[in-house]
Amino acid sequence: MNVGAAILWLAVLISASAQIGVVHWHRTLLQVWQQDDALRLQLLQEHTRLLLEKSTLTAHGRIDQQARKQLNMTEPDNVQVLSQ
Amino acid sequence: MNAQPNQQTSSGGITLWRFTLVAVVFGCLLGAVLVRLVMLHTVEQPFLFEQGEKRTVREEVQPAMRGMITDRYGKPLAVSTPVVTLWLNPQQVNVQQLPAVAGDLGLSPKELIRKVERAATQGRSFVYLKRQVQPELAQQVLKRRVAGIYGDDDFRRFYPAAEVAAHTVGIVDVDGHGQEGLELAFDEFLQGSHGSRQVVKDLYGNVIKQLKVNAVAQPGGDLALTLDLRLQYLAYRELKAAVSQHNAKSGSAVLVDARNGDVLALVNQPSYNPNNRASLRAENMRNRAVADLIEPGSTIKPFTVAAALNSGRYFPHSEINTAPGFVRVKNKTIRDHRNYGVLDITGVITKSSNVGVTFLAHQLGAERLWDFFSKAGIGQATVLGFPGEAVGSMPYPEQMDALRLATVSYGYGLSVSPLQLAHAYTSFTQGGCIKPVRLLMNDKPQTECQQVMPENIARQVLDMLETVTSKQGTGSRARVAGYRVGGKTGTAHKVGQQGYEDSEYTAVFSGIAPISSPDLVLVVVIDEPQGKEYYGGEVAAPVFSRIMQQALRLRQVAPDDGSVPHLQMAGGPA
Repeated sequence: MNVGAAILWLAVLISASAQIGVVHWHRTLLQVWQQDDALRLQLLQEHTRLLLEKSTLTAHGRIDQQARKQLNMTEPDNVQVLSQ
Repeated sequence: MNAQPNQQTSSGGITLWRFTLVAVVFGCLLGAVLVRLVMLHTVEQPFLFEQGEKRTVREEVQPAMRGMITDRYGKPLAVSTPVVTLWLNPQQVNVQQLPAVAGDLGLSPKELIRKVERAATQGRSFVYLKRQVQPELAQQVLKRRVAGIYGDDDFRRFYPAAEVAAHTVGIVDVDGHGQEGLELAFDEFLQGSHGSRQVVKDLYGNVIKQLKVNAVAQPGGDLALTLDLRLQYLAYRELKAAVSQHNAKSGSAVLVDARNGDVLALVNQPSYNPNNRASLRAENMRNRAVADLIEPGSTIKPFTVAAALNSGRYFPHSEINTAPGFVRVKNKTIRDHRNYGVLDITGVITKSSNVGVTFLAHQLGAERLWDFFSKAGIGQATVLGFPGEAVGSMPYPEQMDALRLATVSYGYGLSVSPLQLAHAYTSFTQGGCIKPVRLLMNDKPQTECQQVMPENIARQVLDMLETVTSKQGTGSRARVAGYRVGGKTGTAHKVGQQGYEDSEYTAVFSGIAPISSPDLVLVVVIDEPQGKEYYGGEVAAPVFSRIMQQALRLRQVAPDDGSVPHLQMAGGPA
């Protein structure tokens, strides 16, 4: 009887401290996950920002203007075809 | 001193009495506490538990990222980027702290305080502080750790191509739901599904415990269009220039791959900038190339002629007498520009003779003409799944009397969208076999096609269309240096209050290049050009020429008219 109760008590103590441990573990993991998720959003934002920046810089109107104004390029008039 | 024993004896009874009283009072207090404790734990427990949860447990929605829309080479046309939506709880917020927050966000402090106070007196616990804020700025605000201010993850839609592709791509509202164009048509596909989870939060809105995950966020699918952004851009630029030059009401251009019906450019004027919601006007948002119907006018004549050739009774050199340049059908006189005398079938197209096609249509009969037109897709839905896509209309054979038949043969009394017209022209370029138009790369390319006419007749019509851009033709201004170009001009009177208006026109040019091996089909429509020039050959043909010239170069199509010298490449590495 006494031995049974002692074992039961021990089991209760172990389970209680395990619960504490697991809750702590859960929170640590949650924190890691949240940080990673924030990082994911941040990288996603960076990615789309760069994507938008690239498409703004390579916008056809801009390229066209720069080619004409800065590089003094003209549309080809005297067309020749190179064939192999 | 002697009073002491006296007191002790008298206090002996009192001590017991007092002790009992104190013990009973304390016992009662303890009992009360116990009863209350039991009450709290049993009777009031559900209520208290719920209240506790209400204050800490939150259902958190994780927005799914909306899919991207790109052109055929993956260039972005619509992109979602993460932002933060800031909101506050007026019940928890300390009004003294608001001016600093307003300063960060560029809001007026006075107005913000007024708004928050009004919401607080109304008992509301949710007020948007500012929606869709740049994440850096939102972090700056949240770092102030003002109680009652929270940030939620959100997405904002950007349109890098702005007004160039606005009509096709469409637009979403501030909540990320499609409102127009493909954003609306494929809303569900692009949207994905939101995630949701139950969490425990502290006063500052930090998650301290995750209770349950109800759904994991699934990002939306990406949509790739068959549009080529380079061609789209140059078509837009040329169309815009032409519409403003002729002071026209609107305009559209549709560029289609002649080999498989892929839509390469679809532009309209006037347009709008989908990134600036404040400037939106409904009439600028209509995708005219798909949603508006026009009477195609003379651009339909090649189909009448092809139907005649298809009947086997006519050949390109069969002669028709169009003298005296007009013909009376019922009570109406159908006129040519002038008396062309005897024309062969090719000449009917070159000169755009109304009398000639009327004769052909009457010879063929309504049944045959209708059959041929509908096989070529005229008056048939293009089925892109576009919101507001026009079906077009064509009278049934039994509705066509001699006059109706005559008008249909030169493009009046039936209506098509510019896209349908371009699609119908691909029947000449695909060896007489027409494939449905395609706007989404996600759709598999069609391998099956519907034979409209034999290949040799399609070739004959192409050669006839080339004569239109010759010096004698009506579309000489559509020519492109270095290339053989074919097409057909059209000028349709617009329908007004009392029948056809005398001075309002739709100028159309529909053409194909290069003729030797067709690569592109382009339809240009300019609506109500003001000024001296209003013919399709004067207004629409030059736009066709400019777009085609650049498009052919961009697509690296070799010049085919023989005027361009071919140089042999000097022995480089093969």
